[in-house]
Amino acid sequence: MSALDWAVVIVTLTTVVVYGVWRSRGERGLNDYLVAGRSLAWPMVAFSVMSTQASAVTFLSTPGQAYSDGMRFLQFYFGLPIAMVVLAATAVPIYHRLRVFTAYEYLETRFDAKTRALAVLLFLIQRGLAAGLTIYAPSLILSVVLGWSIHWTILAIGALVLAYTVWGGSKAVSYTHSLQFAVIWSGLAIVAVVIASRLPHGVSAIDALAVAGRLGRLNIVDPTFDLENRYNLWSGLIGGCFLAMSYFGTDQSQVGRYLTGRSVAQSRMGLLFNGLAKVPMQFLVLGVGAMVFAFYLFTPPPVFFNPEPVRAVERSAMAPEFARSAARQNAAAADRAAKAVALIAARKGGDEATVARAGQALERSHRDVEAARAATVEVLKRAEPGLNPNDVNYVFLRFVLMNLPVGIIGLVLAMVFSASMSASSAEMSALSSTTIVDVWKRWLGGGGDAVHQLHASRWITLMWGVFAVGFAEFAGRLGSLVEAVNVLGSLFYGTILGMFLTAFYFKRVGGTPVFISAILAEAVVLACFFWSKISFLWFNVVGCLVVIGVAGVLSLLIPRWRIVTR
Amino acid sequence: MPELRAPDHEDSAQEPPPVLGRWSRLYALVLIALAVEIAVFWALTKAFR
Repeated sequence: MSALDWAVVIVTLTTVVVYGVWRSRGERGLNDYLVAGRSLAWPMVAFSVMSTQASAVTFLSTPGQAYSDGMRFLQFYFGLPIAMVVLAATAVPIYHRLRVFTAYEYLETRFDAKTRALAVLLFLIQRGLAAGLTIYAPSLILSVVLGWSIHWTILAIGALVLAYTVWGGSKAVSYTHSLQFAVIWSGLAIVAVVIASRLPHGVSAIDALAVAGRLGRLNIVDPTFDLENRYNLWSGLIGGCFLAMSYFGTDQSQVGRYLTGRSVAQSRMGLLFNGLAKVPMQFLVLGVGAMVFAFYLFTPPPVFFNPEPVRAVERSAMAPEFARSAARQNAAAADRAAKAVALIAARKGGDEATVARAGQALERSHRDVEAARAATVEVLKRAEPGLNPNDVNYVFLRFVLMNLPVGIIGLVLAMVFSASMSASSAEMSALSSTTIVDVWKRWLGGGGDAVHQLHASRWITLMWGVFAVGFAEFAGRLGSLVEAVNVLGSLFYGTILGMFLTAFYFKRVGGTPVFISAILAEAVVLACFFWSKISFLWFNVVGCLVVIGVAGVLSLLIPRWRIVTR
Repeated sequence: MPELRAPDHEDSAQEPPPVLGRWSRLYALVLIALAVEIAVFWALTKAFR
């Protein structure tokens, strides 16, 4: 990395930290620390909600996903705008009216202490582990690609986040989110423009995308209904809606963001703006991945995007075999480039038969590249038996480092750090709020004056930060368990959503049937996870419906569990 | 039971949105925008297939 890139990274991140500390000065109690004094206008709420959801992995992995699998992942977000409307109309007014600090306080008001405690427990487990992975995942990618120490990278991200989150709490998190939002999205837009300018002479962005589309990279909408197909229109609209309702309506890392709005209207506007902007923004992220794919149609891509196993095999006795395999792969890629140019020429000629023939030739050539790549990966796997053949996470960063100009590389790295910090800070703030309000104050008798509560809150935020950094340092030794932790959210979200939807809409159902049905729903979701092929997005629907259905039936069968209203 | 703060934003839920005058219109805008986006993406998928 050049001095200019380092300067861009350091100046950007220092500005974020200083700005966060400066904007949160003068805090006087829990209301300031946990919900920013409920004082923020809707643009700040919207930026904070969106920055919380977009972690570094969003920007490192999602373009790689479009590169390898096309843009169909966009459908995952189709349910989000519907969820934003539902939550703006229902959850936001309830949370504001009760003046809660956390979503789980509402559950005790509506049901009972044990139901609140169950939801808090599920949240602290899954979000506590996820907070570590939010730091670990980008640190791993940055360390592998840039040759940095993973331990120092984790510590650097953790220290930067804690520097303003411990001191300033929710207000610091929200204000830094707006700055991070600007860095992330301006950076991505600049990258998109630079990629388009790096295409070969005579190849426009539309030409390149047309060729990428011919090879299945613009497969955005798939209307086929298939429970085992992870991303299609229906799993996105239905499963995605349930997931988004659960994440934005019941996960404190998001609820805490819009509770900072100074009125119902400001919080609602923040969510609705997210509903309007999210899908186009994810289209941009995936579009960058499709553009990277298009770029590598004309320029031979790295034989394997994760550089570490390549460096290892080149030092081993299998180096000659690897070199031959890599040469075959590069030759196939060169042939594909010629076929791509031929297809563009045919499209400009306008003769449909010629276009069809050129398209078929390109598809054959692409299959040859894929076969040659599979052979190269086989060589790598023989050299390193435990190798993960999936190098999607490394596509975007390798592309940036190899092809973008000095200065822009620094901007992209600042973008990755900013995204990691924005997601982590919201998680630590939420874990801290929940621990203070739902554990310390509720069960451990915590209290005292405002200054004491503020100090206790800072210590608890620091404790969660240390836990997240510690877990991130340890995560590398967990191997495949990391993946299990990643799906943890989907295993719990449906159940928690069911509890909240029952609370919102089924006024006669009491706490005990909800508690019992939540435990049953969790068992059903885990059974689906272990013994079925149902895509994880549907777990949210299953968990939610089991809670609502069983709780409803139980309260009908057992009258003393019913709430009698006058 | 937790002691919840007394609501001091009772009128807050009635506050109109800063644009379009009514919340129902804003909700419709979000849903119509989604429908339009899906239609455009479907057209893109077919055009570039």
